[in-house]
Amino acid sequence: MRVGTSHLGNISIMIKAWAQRLGGSLILPPVNNQRTLSLGVKYSPEGLCLPFKLTLGNLIEACELGADTLIITGGDGICRLGYYAKTQEQILRELGYNFEIIQLSLSGQKLFGLLKLMKRLSNNASWFKIISALRFGIVKQFAIDKIERVVQKVRAVEQIKGTANRLYAKAIAAIDNADNYNTLKRVQRDYIDQLNHVAKDTQAKPPIVGIIGEFYVTLEPFANQNIESELGKLGVEVRRRTFISTWTKFSFFFNSLGWDEKSKIHKAALPYLKRDVGGDGWETVGEKVLHAKEYDGLVHLAPFTCMPEIVAQNIMPSTKENIPVLPILCDEQMNRTGMLTRLEAFVDLLKSRRRAHNNNQHRGS
Amino acid sequence: MIKVGIPRALLYYQYYPMWKTFFEELGAEVVVSSPTTQTMLSSGSSRVVADTCLPVKIFLGHVLSLVEKCDYIFIPAIRSVKRKAYNCSKFLGLPDMTKAVIPESPPILDIEIDINKGKHRLYQAIYGLGRHFTWNPFRVRRASLAAWQAHRKYRELMSSQGLTPPQAIARMTGEVELKASTSTQATIALIGHPYMLYDEHISHCLIHRLEQAHNKVLTPEMLTTEELESATARLVGKAHWTYEDEVVGAGGHYLETGADGVIGLMTFGCGPDSQMMDMVRRRATRLRVTTFMSLTLDEHTTEGGVVTRLEAFLDMINRRKRRQVEVCV
Repeated sequence: MRVGTSHLGNISIMIKAWAQRLGGSLILPPVNNQRTLSLGVKYSPEGLCLPFKLTLGNLIEACELGADTLIITGGDGICRLGYYAKTQEQILRELGYNFEIIQLSLSGQKLFGLLKLMKRLSNNASWFKIISALRFGIVKQFAIDKIERVVQKVRAVEQIKGTANRLYAKAIAAIDNADNYNTLKRVQRDYIDQLNHVAKDTQAKPPIVGIIGEFYVTLEPFANQNIESELGKLGVEVRRRTFISTWTKFSFFFNSLGWDEKSKIHKAALPYLKRDVGGDGWETVGEKVLHAKEYDGLVHLAPFTCMPEIVAQNIMPSTKENIPVLPILCDEQMNRTGMLTRLEAFVDLLKSRRRAHNNNQHRGS
Repeated sequence: MIKVGIPRALLYYQYYPMWKTFFEELGAEVVVSSPTTQTMLSSGSSRVVADTCLPVKIFLGHVLSLVEKCDYIFIPAIRSVKRKAYNCSKFLGLPDMTKAVIPESPPILDIEIDINKGKHRLYQAIYGLGRHFTWNPFRVRRASLAAWQAHRKYRELMSSQGLTPPQAIARMTGEVELKASTSTQATIALIGHPYMLYDEHISHCLIHRLEQAHNKVLTPEMLTTEELESATARLVGKAHWTYEDEVVGAGGHYLETGADGVIGLMTFGCGPDSQMMDMVRRRATRLRVTTFMSLTLDEHTTEGGVVTRLEAFLDMINRRKRRQVEVCV
């Protein structure tokens, strides 16, 4: 059985670790690139969202490489994600590929669904082996995300722009190659150390920008034109709530125990949006309310025609808590230069706001 | 008397008789906004971000036209009316979105309908709505039963007599009824959500145009629930969206039997339709029996464009029919 799946940020490192430990044969399509996008756009219905098109591109490329079992995420949710599997299956069959489809439900029993799936794909490996593989993959993901959080801080203040990104890329490769916990720990410590010793501008007080919005486009650098790194180049420190590791931790383990990390966000959103509207719409509104005091600005990322995010986008300007929000819609027509211009203008605005704020404080005292 | 405003948009076409009966039984007066105009569309779309879909923009225009004409506006958030099939985010966010973009609107009567949460929660929600008018739970119960009866009668009327929602509403409220044309060139089935098909401003009087050209028009409401559900099951299995039957079910049914041509009407940027209409289109390509055309509309769609495509589509169907006759002879 040759299993193919689609990309989402760095999730492939985790999946690869599982496959290595369990001995299954995994076909990873090339990381998202222009060809992936073109393939996805060519065969998708035009009105669909970017995540659909990119994941379809991934699946086509996986089929080309000989995958015969495809894992497609789905669920009972309100957003279009729940319908992805049905549409993508039809498109792939019409393209003449022969494959078996496995739907990984993101609602309902997530952890058991995943464990059962791993059992099936690994030809009935022992539960001990499966759980240890699962744990190893998740620990790798945690290591990557821990380093990424440091990278987000360093990017803003590094003296030679691009150093943090280079180190981050090396760190990912090293984590990918690590095959036991000790190496993993060493790699993680090593790179965080190196990142902390990068030559920095100690005087700078970088503006802080939060990235909010839809899950896929915030996590997939190809979909958002690597916006975090661009913001870093402009001297901005980026914060983000969604990480694959935190998502795994909560949705696979803690949520079923009744601990919801989002309840604080939902509570903050309540005066403006009373109910879950699917996707991440509720969280987007809540995060704006929560972070209005902490951050200098927010960048709201959403795929073009994303239903939940449009609801959020309409509601956000009416909140009492005020903070500049730059909405950026991601689709296949998105143009890098256009985005950079908007980001530059936005960062200028944040800086001048900060200056005005400081002047007011001086005058006040 | 308390006046309750109901915008003539979105779910109005599905549930108006039910809502009207419910509020009137509770002693309220129902005010419906007038049919869509260009002013409504412009005023609605000036309030929201550009990529909000056309029906929602029009809905907001209707709400704006009701401001100061009523004491409450009724905007339900319908999450689900079928097991494990959910509605589009925009329906769920509609009350809050309206409040955010139209701060001057009268208080919104907001009720969340979700079948998946069980009967008890549904009854609670209905009682919560009734509480705005009366304390008496029995009165609310009586009103909701009457409302349900009205809804049943409404669906009956459409599926058994082949009426469109505006015709059925006209008959139930005793207004003057529009005459359906009798002559038939071809039978054309229209599929799509009622708020697309019957809002003459959105659809550029599509039904009227088809009837003018001596065609018989079929719509999803003319099928029974069973027919719709079984066609949906054949095409996609379990329904994912609340109002999937109107598109996928009706499309699947009419592609197989009963129509010479099928026109799918959807709005630009519609999340559910972008996938469902594609399912129907693929089905049509595979079957190769019935001609299918999909029309995507937005506020920039011009009448001329729609008419041109419609004429070409009708020409194609008529030529096809002529050729079939020749082959038979």
